[in-house]
Amino acid sequence: MIQRHQRIVFWCLVVCIIGMGVLLAVGRQRGRQRIAALADDETTPLDAPTAMAETVTLDLANDADGSIAPASRQIALPQDPNARARALIDHLIAEYALPGSAHALPPGSAVAEVFLLPLPLVGYTTDSTSSATKDGGFRPTVPVAQDDPDPVQPKQLGGELAVIDLHSTFVNQHPSGVEVESLTLRSILGTLHANLPQIEQVRFLVDGQARETLAGHADLLRTYPAADTTSSAGTANERQSN
Amino acid sequence: MIVLDPAHGGVDSGSQISDTTVEKNVTLALAFRLRSLLTARGFSVVMTRDADAPAVPNAAGAAMTLDDRAGIANHAHAAACLVLHATPGGTGVHLYRSELEASEGQPFVVPWLTAQAAWIPQSRLLEKQMTAAFSRSGLALVASNASVRPIDSLTCPALVVELAPSGDDADSINDTDYQQRVAQTIAGALLFWQNEVQPPTRLSAPASATVRPATTSDTAGAQP
Repeated sequence: MIQRHQRIVFWCLVVCIIGMGVLLAVGRQRGRQRIAALADDETTPLDAPTAMAETVTLDLANDADGSIAPASRQIALPQDPNARARALIDHLIAEYALPGSAHALPPGSAVAEVFLLPLPLVGYTTDSTSSATKDGGFRPTVPVAQDDPDPVQPKQLGGELAVIDLHSTFVNQHPSGVEVESLTLRSILGTLHANLPQIEQVRFLVDGQARETLAGHADLLRTYPAADTTSSAGTANERQSN
Repeated sequence: MIVLDPAHGGVDSGSQISDTTVEKNVTLALAFRLRSLLTARGFSVVMTRDADAPAVPNAAGAAMTLDDRAGIANHAHAAACLVLHATPGGTGVHLYRSELEASEGQPFVVPWLTAQAAWIPQSRLLEKQMTAAFSRSGLALVASNASVRPIDSLTCPALVVELAPSGDDADSINDTDYQQRVAQTIAGALLFWQNEVQPPTRLSAPASATVRPATTSDTAGAQP
């Protein structure tokens, strides 16, 4: 004969088991929906490259003679320009981390994020004054004149400024020296110019902050022009200036 | 007047040349050699530091920033400013000029981070003079452009001179004969250079010139 209190405990346990099973099923369903929503979200930091591999040009540096030479690679890149720029730099740094590299750099991710900003670079602020409301309530905080020699002006319509946010782990491990640091920057600038011609200017940050130098030498405070930095282009420019 | 800036110093050792040698000591040793040779040739020489730890003038104990070094150089109105570095990579001497594009003249308000732009033609001529001198001396030379702070803020013909080892052994950078040869070559080139230096044209102030406050992170900041 089963006692009454034992029957109560038994049915309580049965109710708890069924309840936990329902909770588990509901939680699993919610998790699936959350992952599916993330996959569809356009703000995902870096899309997996779903496109076919394409030919890109990497401007590879050589420490032995201080030269930069273009090299073609087949790489699958994301379509989003910001993610594309980041993936290009990551591939470039990965090349330098390979054994026997002519410009040896530490392995690991170098870039936290790349932001492409349209030029001219003008700050905007909301303003409710009558003169500003006709422009939708926005007023430029930095006036831009047509003949403004400020370097934030684009050379061509649609020109962009790339802000490259480097990881401090990469910067802190970067070899120190004028030549080796300059080659890294020129290599990045040349690679971006060759594959994303809309990028006209480049600025560097480290962990989201401005930093004076890469590893004690190369200037990270200035705005660099994205240009052909290969050695043949440098020689041609020298001839022109002379 | 010649300005010598032995890079790094104090807690900033620069690059590790070898197990026993750091960059800050090599740059200072080369600067001392150059100062002696230049003084013997009749130049006045200003050094941004003549001890391990650079200190800001009139601010005892304060560490010197790269902008402080540029300030010292710019106040000297020098015929040439040489920023001295050292590296374990490569061989011989690496010579760098600023990567800035040359401007037509020195503007009324000098932008701090691009002050060198007006002096680029003069820096280019100085680089030619140096290249010819190193070619005559038989020392290996690589000439290129680089943005190395504080060269872009200097208002004088300016070059970065990076000393590399003379051979495969990184410690050969400390060889006194080698350093003396490099210093003699630079001093000889500057002797020719002193009769060629010309300041850039000063541009007049625009009629509606407006100056906005400068910060160190602002590329359009005004010279203090």
